Amino acid sequence: MDDLSRRLEALLYIAPRPVPAADLAASCEGDEADVARALGELAEEYAEGRHGLRLREVAGGFTFAVADDCADTVRRHTGLERPEDLSPALLETLSVVAYLEPVTRADVAEVRGVSSEWTLAGLQERGLVEERGRAATPGAPILYATTERLLKLFGLRSRDELPPLEEFALEAGEVEEIRARLLGNAARRRA
Amino acid sequence: MRAEASAVTAPAVELDLDLDVFDGPFDLLVTLILRDEIDIWEVRVSRIIAEYVLRLADSGEFDLDATSQFVVLVAALLEMKSRLLLEDEVEDELEDLDPDEAARQLLERLVRYGQFRNAAAMLRGRWADHAAALYRSAPIPPALLRRPDPEALLPQRALVDALAPLLREPPVPDTSHLADLAVSVVRELRRLRRLLDDGGRFTFGAVAPKGRLERAVTFFALLELHASGEARLRQTRHFGEIEVTRCLQPAVAG
Repeated sequence: MDDLSRRLEALLYIAPRPVPAADLAASCEGDEADVARALGELAEEYAEGRHGLRLREVAGGFTFAVADDCADTVRRHTGLERPEDLSPALLETLSVVAYLEPVTRADVAEVRGVSSEWTLAGLQERGLVEERGRAATPGAPILYATTERLLKLFGLRSRDELPPLEEFALEAGEVEEIRARLLGNAARRRA
Repeated sequence: MRAEASAVTAPAVELDLDLDVFDGPFDLLVTLILRDEIDIWEVRVSRIIAEYVLRLADSGEFDLDATSQFVVLVAALLEMKSRLLLEDEVEDELEDLDPDEAARQLLERLVRYGQFRNAAAMLRGRWADHAAALYRSAPIPPALLRRPDPEALLPQRALVDALAPLLREPPVPDTSHLADLAVSVVRELRRLRRLLDDGGRFTFGAVAPKGRLERAVTFFALLELHASGEARLRQTRHFGEIEVTRCLQPAVAG
């Protein structure tokens, strides 16, 4: 490894959180292109199967993570447990917050069609969603947004890495099916 | 993703119903109502809820997802039913409830909701791939904490001095001032019999202990001796000394 890669390695060793590439470049007094190249070299050095660590880009920066095949050993040593799986209701609420943030509780309930107080509280408890100020609407409801922990747990560099919501639109056939059923009902009711 | 989307229209709630108008699984009932093959007028939603609660109580298990689904569906049924009630009574305000318009709005909502539901399926996939990852983490340096680190303010020695007296075993409390109230008539009887055997006579005042309770027990023992005919009691005046003498030929009990 060259000198710059080794200095980056040292920085990432000492940093408590993911460090953005620009910050790394500033600390190394190097330009971003060089740092990007050196990070590539570092990633190569820490490629799968070589060390107990991997270099990862997550939550807006670079950081070391435990290699997957070493995770169980680390968990045994630290007593850390795997995060508990999220229920469908929690995932659904999370997707609404992630795509529409910042959102109020009423916004979430409106999309889901059910009160979402409990699921939002559950997401807050898990550190995936946090309060982010209040809306400038009557009643000044609390606004909710996703956290850095969410990016880590879902392996995202940033929120922008989420695929656009449009990709998840129901397919034309599905929409037609629902429409036909609803309109059929309406017509019969009118008759 | 297709499976997730279709789940929007057919969630699984396992509940068998036996209603006046319908006998079968809850899912089927919902489907039939949606297809207008069963009139929701005829369905007593409270019965469905009661059945579900009973089933929950019987099974002893609580599946949050299934129950949420159930609540969502029942809420939808109730809304449909209450809208129908309203339609009848508020004939003039029917504009708001134009079936076509209502259907269109509902379609819009379902389509929008379906998107997020599909997105949730994507999140589930990412979670499965990434949630177990362990990233480098370290606590925030104490210098950056808004609240000063208590350890920095308090010398270690002070903490030890404060804790030491708490950790020391406290002395056993002195309970000598508490009287031992364990007194037994049987033991007193034995003692009095021995006194009678030894001297043949004694006075109550001479043998009775100081404490009131013990004194009472001794008196009970005395009465017992009298009743069994082992001793004769004599008191010449009220509150006077009681003389106890042994009967040489104890009366036969009974």
